[in-house]
Amino acid sequence: MSLLWFSKNVLSKNSVLFNFRSISTTPQLQIKEIKEIQKGKELTIYGEIFKSPREPYVLNNNHSSACPVCASGLDIKHTDVLILSQFVRSDGCMLPRRITGLCRKQQKRLMPNLNPSWSKKDPKRRYGWKKFNKYFDESTIKC
Amino acid sequence: MSALKRVQQWATFARIWHVYDAAWQNPFESAQVLKKYLKGMHKPIYHPMNDCGDHVIVLNSAEIALPGDEWKKRVYFHHTGYPGGASWTLAWELHNKDPTMVLRKAVYNSMKGNLQRRYTMERLHIFPDANVPKELMGNVSNQIRQVRPIPKRLDHYPEEDVTQFPKVIDYPKDYVVK
Ligand SMILES: [Zn+2]
Repeated sequence: MSLLWFSKNVLSKNSVLFNFRSISTTPQLQIKEIKEIQKGKELTIYGEIFKSPREPYVLNNNHSSACPVCASGLDIKHTDVLILSQFVRSDGCMLPRRITGLCRKQQKRLMPNLNPSWSKKDPKRRYGWKKFNKYFDESTIKC
Repeated sequence: MSALKRVQQWATFARIWHVYDAAWQNPFESAQVLKKYLKGMHKPIYHPMNDCGDHVIVLNSAEIALPGDEWKKRVYFHHTGYPGGASWTLAWELHNKDPTMVLRKAVYNSMKGNLQRRYTMERLHIFPDANVPKELMGNVSNQIRQVRPIPKRLDHYPEEDVTQFPKVIDYPKDYVVK
């Protein structure tokens, strides 16, 4: 609420300040990581640009119309953690479709359940029967 | 009797100790394997009246795995003999009480109910973790192969294997790393 009030206040006072172009026709440079450094009263925010670490290991997609997973012909299961981890942010959430570039079917199929190492969700501390090891027969998993 | 024949004779009639790691193994599939070693069915001299069974030490029985939702579907029945003495215990409740019991009952029920079964079970030594007394572990001369592969977690792979594994997708050009 206070943020809304603040932004309203600023907008009404000097709306000229916001007169810049926020739309760019080209991708805004390369992959970057936003970093913030606080030095006394000075706050520096900058984007550190770096090359993609995946570039030498990416499979080439020979089908122009298919999404990467369909084109690779992989039947990905829940135990294929090395593949599933490619579709995951550092906090364990799945990346959205606009970033993964998968078709709707594959995006829905790949719902990874990977926890980061610092996660507090220890499976051994779950309640009741959920804390014990279980497995699923991969040959019976459909779709 | 030559020396070779004599040693062969000892090896045939000696009780061998096997070790089996039950981590991530189905106890009911494992029981089918373990009972053969306990009864000595892997030996050419096997006969039901022939006391040739081996000892098996089972490690990590607390880490056994059941398929799907079997932990809450499998039920163990017990009756005290008194009226109203029936009780039904779910597999996960039994595993909470005694982490060796599900495996022990699996092996016990895999064998036919005859007079030998109780003595065969005496040769099965189950431990919930890897803390086995040294004097037992010193007897072991064979390891039984696991029936299922152990699933490997992402943090169990070395760092290079994860980064150098073939990648299906690359980040888009304007991706902001989080
Ligand atoms: Zn697709």
